Amino acid sequence: MSNNKNPLLPHLATLQNVIDLTPDVRLFQIDLNDADFKAKFDYKPGQFIFVSAFGTGESPFGLTSVAHRKGPIEVAVRKVGTVTSSLHDLEPGASVGVRGPFGNFFPMDQFRGKNIHIIGGGIGFAPLRPVILTILDNRNDYGDLFILNGARTPSDLVFANEFDTWAAAPKTRLELTVDAKDDNWTGRVALIPAVVKELQLSPANSVAILCGPPIMIKFTLTELKKLGFADEQIVTTLEGKMKCGLGKCARCNVGDKYVCKDGPVFTFKQISGLLEQF
Amino acid sequence: MSKFISKKDLNSWLNKVREKRRLIAPTKVEDLVLFKEISKVEDIVSDYVNTDLSPKEFFFPPTEVLFSIAKKDGGVELTPARVEKETVIFGMRPCDAKGIIALDKPFLEEPTDPLYREHRDKTILVGVACLKACPECFCSSMGGGPDDPAGFDIMLTEVKDGYLVQVLTDKGKALMPDSMLSESKEAKPKAAEVAKVPAEGVNVRLRQNFDDPYWGRLADRCIHCNMCSYVCPTCYCFDIRDYPNKGKSDRVRSWESCQSAGFTKIAGGHDPRANKGIRMRQRFAHKLLYFPEQFGVSHCIGCGRCVKSCPVNIDIREIISDVQKLGAKGE
Amino acid sequence: MSETEQIRAKAKELLDSKKVDCVIGYERATDGKNARPMFVYNAKDTDRLIFDQTCRHNLVRYLLNRKDKVTGIVVKPCDSRAINLLINEHQIARDKVVIIGVVCPGLVKTDWNKTGDKLRDACQICQQRTPVVYDVLIGEPKKVEPPADAYPDVTGMEGKSVEEKRAFWEKEFSRCIRCYACRQACPGCYCSECFVDRLDPLWVGIRIAPAENEMWNTMRAFHLGGRCIGCNACEMVCPVNIPLSLLNRKLEKEVMTLFKFQAGLDPEAPQPLAAFLKDEKLGVAE
Repeated sequence: MSNNKNPLLPHLATLQNVIDLTPDVRLFQIDLNDADFKAKFDYKPGQFIFVSAFGTGESPFGLTSVAHRKGPIEVAVRKVGTVTSSLHDLEPGASVGVRGPFGNFFPMDQFRGKNIHIIGGGIGFAPLRPVILTILDNRNDYGDLFILNGARTPSDLVFANEFDTWAAAPKTRLELTVDAKDDNWTGRVALIPAVVKELQLSPANSVAILCGPPIMIKFTLTELKKLGFADEQIVTTLEGKMKCGLGKCARCNVGDKYVCKDGPVFTFKQISGLLEQF
Repeated sequence: MSKFISKKDLNSWLNKVREKRRLIAPTKVEDLVLFKEISKVEDIVSDYVNTDLSPKEFFFPPTEVLFSIAKKDGGVELTPARVEKETVIFGMRPCDAKGIIALDKPFLEEPTDPLYREHRDKTILVGVACLKACPECFCSSMGGGPDDPAGFDIMLTEVKDGYLVQVLTDKGKALMPDSMLSESKEAKPKAAEVAKVPAEGVNVRLRQNFDDPYWGRLADRCIHCNMCSYVCPTCYCFDIRDYPNKGKSDRVRSWESCQSAGFTKIAGGHDPRANKGIRMRQRFAHKLLYFPEQFGVSHCIGCGRCVKSCPVNIDIREIISDVQKLGAKGE
Repeated sequence: MSETEQIRAKAKELLDSKKVDCVIGYERATDGKNARPMFVYNAKDTDRLIFDQTCRHNLVRYLLNRKDKVTGIVVKPCDSRAINLLINEHQIARDKVVIIGVVCPGLVKTDWNKTGDKLRDACQICQQRTPVVYDVLIGEPKKVEPPADAYPDVTGMEGKSVEEKRAFWEKEFSRCIRCYACRQACPGCYCSECFVDRLDPLWVGIRIAPAENEMWNTMRAFHLGGRCIGCNACEMVCPVNIPLSLLNRKLEKEVMTLFKFQAGLDPEAPQPLAAFLKDEKLGVAE
């Protein structure tokens, strides 16, 4: 039976590299074993894959890499449950499974010419990285780029090794904030919504892209709206418990929409039209 | 003129069917009537109105291995599970065939679930029309009927000394060729009178009353067992996990219920349906609103099993009426 | 006044006086024959309340969802033991419950759309016809002569060989669909995270299969050792008729034999399997 015919059967893949991003988040660089599938494997910022830790199970993860860089596919995994713990136990060379890519994606074409505000909290920042990389690799296509990365503590900020590159890029501003500082931290200590308010982000010709814990999304949304952002200018990517990724297992639905199929990327205009709370 | 088979001929046919295939039919287990594999044709009961559990388990088993995972040459080898034997399900009621038609939607629409596809392809459905209705059933309000042959390969209607036969598909014809049947002048008996439920337009009303306190009050009484989902012929929520098996692992799919606490809790701890009333609303919204709008057919087929088995009498017929009575609020 | 009328009057009084904001009782189910639990918030709805021999639910379970509110509740004698159990285990406070106790005529065998006239097996051997705790009692207190063998069902089972017992339970558990209705109906099953729901790490597999079914059913019973108050709610809700009370009552009999203790009779008495007393002997055989 060909892999492609069975949507629940993962494609075999090999862990190429495992990189510690924070004390509990690791970046997994994954190489697909099947050359044909690898050649066809294309994905866009915002999409996600299921990764199998064989013997435990599989979970969905937002892709943090971009297809156009032609490198290994990457996901950032925080150790929070059984599957993520098993993944953290794996070393380079280990076999994993990949299903996907699934879901819709950030409409990067529609973002062209606009100023982009990227606001991510904790591990929620990870799926926003492909947006940043797409903008940086096509710098002239987009307006100003503002990046706000927040975490509980300085050591929980993901992709710290790329901060210098991002900050040095043209028309780009990087802001970092933490809930609680440590001895070496000289930066901001503030919650993300407070930073959004303080910096008075401008809604003019711009889009705000949010991802993080639901409570952060809720309060950041309130601040953005106060600043004059319209619902359709605010985009987020939702998380939901899911088993199939195909709009079938009826678990990740928010009202009559599926996070896996209709999302995970939604504008707040779409979200405010949903029956249920996410 | 209709086709006819005598009870005696039917029994010898069932015996023949059983030789090469798995024969599933209603049989007595303690005080229950359940679909079970039949080893003696005499064990099949005919004086039942419907089985206590639905036949969905033969297409979407309570627990099923999707594929096995073995270590091989330093890597991993995955072997998808196959369905070995052909199955004949005898004695299914029209509502349950509607249930299978509803299950087909999520499992067979692209991308198809290959294991479900194989179960479906390798199973022949022999239905028996309902001449008697259960006090809890309401199929004719949910797009079916007590003598609706939809979904069956062969449909039987009991008459004196035998059954009137409708062979509906090629699969059915191959199993029960015309040569086995005689002609009968017997009139088709009147199908059961089935109670009516005002289900028309309930999706619209449900949408209008989505945030009504009604759902919270209903959840007061609900004890949040998963029984309604498990006796339901169309509920198809599942969990998937790997399971150690003699040095290998199996990826296993098992029934789960949207009513269980933590069904939607994500690893970080957030649970959009932590509240009991919201979980209860999800079940009825999926049955009566989301699924019909997504797939074009009702997800409740009116078999009444949840009505009959609910320990606290959460009655979908009453809920449909109540939601209709709530009216066009919010419009 | 009939029991039903007295319950309605008491419930109305409690709601009118705002002593409680909700009375949990019984109303007629949609089959027109059985009873179902009813939450009454409004005095005008009290005339829907009923009491008869079909009122099988142990409503005490619902008090766990209303710990911080004062609730009126209709209880039968076995249910009343659940109140003591929950007070004993610090799950509910006595002053948050107004108990309408009903002298129990015993429940009849009921099924959906069917009511029998024979008493349930458990009710035939029940010795507790008057609630052990109440604020108002409905009916005349009744004393029942204890039978020679309070555990005829268990004694019968004990006479079987190990192989017969194993075969019996394997057959019974094979029908289990792990809907957990038994747990959800039980007033003593209130762990905030049940061992079978524990996913991280996974304690019991998700398979609906013999090994997991047996694990579930035996662990459920063991967890109620010395705690089961004999209301039979678990068995009554089981959709595949597994005789759960046989397991519960075996454990109850053991605890009775070893410790002369029955759960729920005294809200203060320490539970034998949860308390270690200084003069207690270790080991079972003396």
